[in-house]
Amino acid sequence: MATRVAFENSNEIGVFAALTNGYCLTGINRSENFYSVFEAELGAHIPVIHATIAGCRFVGRTTVGNRRGLLVPNTATDVELAHLRNSLPDGIVVQRVEERLSALGNIVACNDHVALVHPDVDRETEDVISDVLGVEVFRQIVGGQALVGSYCKFSNHGGMVHPRTTVEDIEELSSLLQVPLVAGTVNRGSDVLGGGLIVNDWSSFVGLDTTSTEISVIENIFRLSGSGSSSGGGQRGQGQQSNIVTNMRSSLIDQLS
Amino acid sequence: MPVYNFKTMAPVPSASDLVDIVLTRTQRKTPTVVHPGYKITRIRNFYMRKIKFTQQTISERLTAMLSDFPRLSDIHPFYSDLCNTLYDRDHYKLALGQINTARQLVDAVARDMIRMVKYGDSLYRCKCLKRAALGRMCTILKRQKASLSYLEEVRKHMSRLPALDPNTRTLLLCGLPNVGKSSFMNKITRANVDVQPYAFTTKSLFVGHTDYRYLRWQVIDTPGILDHPLEQRNTIEMQAITALAHLTCSVLYFMDVSEQCGFSIEQQCNLFRSISPLFANKQLVVVVNKIDAQPYEALEKEKRDMIERLVKEGGSNTTMLQMSNVSEVGVSSVKNHACDKLLASRVDSRVSTNKAESVMNRLQVFYPTARDGVKREAFIPESVLRERERASAEGGERKKTRKSRIGYAPTKDDVDDDDEEEEEGGDETPAESDDEMMVGNGGGGVGDGGRRKKTARELMWENGGPGVWAPDYREQYDLLDPEWRFDAIPQILDGKNIADYFDPDIEEKLRLLEEEEDRLQAEYEAADMERTDGDDDRLNEMESAQVAEIRERVKIARAFKDRSGGRNRPALPREIRGRVKDCHDDDAKLKADAIERRLKKVGVDASAMLERGRKREREGPREKRRQSRDARGADAEMEDVAAAGEEDDDDEDGGNSMKVDGDGRSRSKGAIKRHRKEREESARREQSMTRSHSRPREPSQMGLKDESMAKVARMVEKKGQRKWFGGSGEGDHTKSVHLVKWCNTGKKRNGTHYSR
Repeated sequence: MATRVAFENSNEIGVFAALTNGYCLTGINRSENFYSVFEAELGAHIPVIHATIAGCRFVGRTTVGNRRGLLVPNTATDVELAHLRNSLPDGIVVQRVEERLSALGNIVACNDHVALVHPDVDRETEDVISDVLGVEVFRQIVGGQALVGSYCKFSNHGGMVHPRTTVEDIEELSSLLQVPLVAGTVNRGSDVLGGGLIVNDWSSFVGLDTTSTEISVIENIFRLSGSGSSSGGGQRGQGQQSNIVTNMRSSLIDQLS
Repeated sequence: MPVYNFKTMAPVPSASDLVDIVLTRTQRKTPTVVHPGYKITRIRNFYMRKIKFTQQTISERLTAMLSDFPRLSDIHPFYSDLCNTLYDRDHYKLALGQINTARQLVDAVARDMIRMVKYGDSLYRCKCLKRAALGRMCTILKRQKASLSYLEEVRKHMSRLPALDPNTRTLLLCGLPNVGKSSFMNKITRANVDVQPYAFTTKSLFVGHTDYRYLRWQVIDTPGILDHPLEQRNTIEMQAITALAHLTCSVLYFMDVSEQCGFSIEQQCNLFRSISPLFANKQLVVVVNKIDAQPYEALEKEKRDMIERLVKEGGSNTTMLQMSNVSEVGVSSVKNHACDKLLASRVDSRVSTNKAESVMNRLQVFYPTARDGVKREAFIPESVLRERERASAEGGERKKTRKSRIGYAPTKDDVDDDDEEEEEGGDETPAESDDEMMVGNGGGGVGDGGRRKKTARELMWENGGPGVWAPDYREQYDLLDPEWRFDAIPQILDGKNIADYFDPDIEEKLRLLEEEEDRLQAEYEAADMERTDGDDDRLNEMESAQVAEIRERVKIARAFKDRSGGRNRPALPREIRGRVKDCHDDDAKLKADAIERRLKKVGVDASAMLERGRKREREGPREKRRQSRDARGADAEMEDVAAAGEEDDDDEDGGNSMKVDGDGRSRSKGAIKRHRKEREESARREQSMTRSHSRPREPSQMGLKDESMAKVARMVEKKGQRKWFGGSGEGDHTKSVHLVKWCNTGKKRNGTHYSR
């Protein structure tokens, strides 16, 4: 199920929180409303951690990670690094990256197996990503946008890309990432998927403006609704994803064109 | 697509109000003072400006009005026809046309009158022309009284029209009065339309919204229509006809099979036939209503045939459904059916025009082709899977309320009933400690325990709300020993950033270090044991006490030295302080009393020493002074000595102290040079000393001969300064009159410019 959340009246929740299968980071806020949404949803399963990077609360854009590790930019202070290190379980590697493009969340999109990176990142960063996160790294652009982390989002089950990505590009990306993909939007037509959508293999959060059509596309492609999406149920999962083609097609056509 | 919002139209003032508005504005925004003595062009301009301004104001207001009201030919035909029905197109156009004419007339009046003012030859004439101009303009406005009030009424009514979008997905409910259109509307939307058991309860169009298949659907409730020719229909019916005629929608034709509405089924069929031209190109659903009162199957055969024939006549787009608002049988199926039909037709039209091409990537899921044999598994923690299983086991009869789908964390109330169930389940794990909550993917059987931990949001509200309370972020640290969580760890220790010394192998290294330390300690102790007690060079008790005392005093002395003392005066060198005998500085180091006091405290008799000091003071400084003065005048050593001799004679104290330079003659050249250098230096020091003292020196030291000369000098100085006190000086800014008016104007019969 996808939960609608807002961070202080902002729909760009992906800016203020980062979610993986192993942990969740949220920005520090004066009220605990935002944090508690994640805490209530995920607190029983994975650690949900307050964090800042370089004193800033947009942790979702500055960090990138999966269940094996977490990469933070070189602007992160030693104290913040220690806080993350202390809060995360021992199996998760926290690593600082000396990369000129310090908004790692914008330039890297990854799941537990594959990562897409901005074409301009350093070789060393690429190596760090593949070592720490244990993923294959591909330099790619999505829908003409180099900021792959902002304009696409994928979990181990499926993914969503920028709405202007061409059919051929999506096919190519899908075979790179080895997950089913669809083009889509969040937050009532926003193409910044990284900003409006936070997702892992079993839960997702979307901006408060997201329409029910968008939510159902998200739930279908990420296989989030209910019991049918355990890791073994590949066949059922495919059925769920093809909902977009079968059940939702007419609604989508009517709304989009 | 244009959005029809008539709520933003500005109110139309009545004619008299408009006159007031215009005239007050002219009065406020144009100059009001004019004198007959002014140049005539100025007077003309003054009045022309008034006329022009009034004309502009009127023109602005009327233009705003004309642009506010929609042009019936430009808006959607539905709205255009609705306006025709409600306000009468001719009347509406006439009113707007008259306003437009009025605007042109006002412009013409202003043009004429301004032309005439240009020839006005006096203030009075100009004023009369202005009055005439304004009067004529106001008369023109007053003549528009009827159209203005009509337009205001129209505006009020239009602003109350429902916000109806002619282009969106629409369900239109129509039929005879009292067949259950409004009840159906209330069932599927939240419009809360008035439902009464008499005809024409609904007198205008009502709009409600409903959701179906992730889309928003507009539902329009129309007034009932009677079966008579179009020309005889009243305004209320015509609204329904307008909506039927112009909206692309799914039409629900309601039929009352129980005939409780007062119309027979035959009459209802006749109405259907008479308005059937309006159903062309629309999705039509014939809704057989009120089947609770009269089941359709129990209906007489001929009536059923009538209805079925009707449906057949409607063509392929027509279907028939049964429902009842009272028993709610078939309500949602009617809605779904109507929506589905409309959606299908809309999608067809979109696909056929290739509009859907551009969104093809969003309608299609792209499955990957395997590029290698690697299996890329998803990763879902055990606890999540368990929770899901439990949720599915609990089944559909009871939905989990714990998960809130709105953007706030669930509160205690949300989970109350959930708790009971979990206790029945019997797998509750008390999750009291924070660490256990954090285990998560370890699969340690935490799940979500029976007694749920309070969320941070609840804690925040319990402790004073946002901004007051913030959690201790260390509480959830996942450390080896939970006791360590709240340890204070400095960022910088001994000037070193401890993060720089972070090392994953720190424990191992520490162990090695400790081992080494133990070893060294043992060695040292062993060596210590070997040493004999005899050559113990440690201090005994008394000595160490003395050392402690010395250290203590040194410490105090240092503290005194360091302390600023809080004295607000310049720090003078000790030498000078001692010499000056500052009466306020009791502790001056070289002050005799202070010296005596100090030495007495120590227990030394200082009288002899002080006496010697006094004696030296009496002799010493004068000696030096004279030397320095001489040094200014004479360079030669010889003269210096001679001068010293002279001075010596003057000295009242007697000259036996004079033996300083006695042996000067026998000194070497280098010594003489050194001596001279010293003297020059002392002279310089003397000068600087003079500068540093506020106390006036003796006249001789000011370069004057005696006291009387000093007095004269003081007087002269005073005189020189006198004029500056309070007067203006060269620093003051003055501007003198260059040309004095009375000198330079008028006839110059006698006298000069400068005197008369």
